[in-house]
Amino acid sequence: MQSRNVVEIADRNSRVRAYVMAAAGLAFLLIHVVFRSYVGMGPETADVLTRRVMWVVNVVVLLLGLSTGGGLLNNREIRALVNDEVSQGNYRTSVILGFWVAMGTALLLYAFPNVLAYIGGDAIYNTVTFSVAAAVLKFAYLELRAHRDA
Amino acid sequence: MTHKELHNRLREERARRNLTQADLATMVGVSRKTINTVENGVFIPSTVLALRLARALGTSVEEIFQLPGKVP
Repeated sequence: MQSRNVVEIADRNSRVRAYVMAAAGLAFLLIHVVFRSYVGMGPETADVLTRRVMWVVNVVVLLLGLSTGGGLLNNREIRALVNDEVSQGNYRTSVILGFWVAMGTALLLYAFPNVLAYIGGDAIYNTVTFSVAAAVLKFAYLELRAHRDA
Repeated sequence: MTHKELHNRLREERARRNLTQADLATMVGVSRKTINTVENGVFIPSTVLALRLARALGTSVEEIFQLPGKVP
């Protein structure tokens, strides 16, 4: 039997994680859509290089958050509760969605190369951006739904 | 994973024993989120979790989870 306190801490951490993931996924997507990165297009200036590095850092952080459940700072007992059966199922569902978004984006960009001129960036950049954002946002949505009415 | 044809009486069984979701979560060793999603039919628990829920409530799995009559 778990301690009641541990269950409450896990519950709070899980809610916070869901909100953080939602905010991070939205911010990541909005930065791409609003500011349009031109990574892979034109000369490799310092500005483009900075954007490229920041984008890679963003992607790695989001993927780490998704794959570890963002619970690296919790102790093992709380981490096990936060990443229990429901969250593991949500993680699988999110990754599956991310995979299909990646396939769809890649096929779209291959079939209609002119789309790149409109949305900016290169094919890999867009494929990764949309698929990671989709997976993170889906995970956040499923986690928030799991907490609804709790 | 959800299954619209799986009925569950977890909420009723828990309420009958005057337990909160947090109480049951503590007894079973899962998060409150898990109890909530099972009660709402959003999540189908594993066999192990279903057995643990039944044991914690002092009942059988069949008392908590049922398939409707028409489903084979």
